[in-house]
Amino acid sequence: MTSSETGYLLNDDQVADFIINGYHIVKPSFSKNFHSDVYTALEGLPTNPGDAVNDAVPALDQIYTHPSVVGALSSLLGSDYTMAEHRHCHRNHPGTRSQMWHQDNLNIPMLEDGHGRVPDHVRSVLVMYYPQNVEANMGPTALIPGSHLFTSAPDRNASQGNFRDQIIATVDAGSLLILHYDIWHAGTANTSDKVRYMVKYLFERSTESEDPSWDHDSSQDTRILDRLEKDEAAALQRSLVSKRNYLRTKMWNNLAGSARLEYEYRDKWAGAWPQPVK
Amino acid sequence: MAIKQRLLYLSGQSMDPRSPAISQALHEPIEGTIVEIDPTAKGLDYATVHDAVVDGWRIVHFPDQRGSVYDSDVEVIGFQFILEKLEEFND
Repeated sequence: MTSSETGYLLNDDQVADFIINGYHIVKPSFSKNFHSDVYTALEGLPTNPGDAVNDAVPALDQIYTHPSVVGALSSLLGSDYTMAEHRHCHRNHPGTRSQMWHQDNLNIPMLEDGHGRVPDHVRSVLVMYYPQNVEANMGPTALIPGSHLFTSAPDRNASQGNFRDQIIATVDAGSLLILHYDIWHAGTANTSDKVRYMVKYLFERSTESEDPSWDHDSSQDTRILDRLEKDEAAALQRSLVSKRNYLRTKMWNNLAGSARLEYEYRDKWAGAWPQPVK
Repeated sequence: MAIKQRLLYLSGQSMDPRSPAISQALHEPIEGTIVEIDPTAKGLDYATVHDAVVDGWRIVHFPDQRGSVYDSDVEVIGFQFILEKLEEFND
């Protein structure tokens, strides 16, 4: 990795945010018309090129070599991450209806982890690129923060609509939404009169971490461990909280290699007495 | 005019109907309607199942009292209550 890319590495809190919430947004800087030109090129495609979308729109290659994107992906997957052959251009036209909440399919041959969910590591991420502004009525991607730590039951999720803590990815043109592969998400209804494009890629880890691949500061370990235990993503039943916290810490340790967090007993309860309720 | 059943699926943070609601889906008895994620919605219609009951909804299904299983292969977020309202609709 070059020094210019190193400057774009995530810090401890950004990595903790990803572990807690399951997503991170990057907005690489390009010339004024770059993204609108990509949009125009996508509009001009006579058919869906499938995995060949980068051959059809070569400007897309520039996005994934931008230092801010390389820095974020290196932080989460290690600097020797790979881009999978599979990618897909989603064309969400006016009148498109909402998808159901789902985790993406595991039947992709490029995945090398035995096709199982990985709630305690970051082995692969989805990256969604939006070449236009996405307003709330244009079919933005919806996601449930923190849900990547759990395995969903699609047939039972079918009876769930809006979640109280759902995130609606209304983003500026050129934004990239990096998602843990297992996060529960859905494309929503496009009730506008505009076509919304999203080009989705899959990136994968090649090797296990020996050391943190992000801008790590071990003096923050106690605070980070506290965040992993206490920060809320989305509301869920109490019976899942201990499992959530265990998976968060295990994910951090799998990413950090030798810089794993060590649990040390500390007195959390000393201090002022509780006050009478008035 | 006909009396028809409106269905409201509300998931709570616990089996207590006064616990905070986590998700909702409203099924209207109107042909062609579907339940969708509404990206323009501002929060849920009710903060708790109890609030919905106060507003006239009647619980017709309670969540499984066995609760969630820690080592389950799949997780469902929240405990689902199903509520109904019988109202007049124009056909």
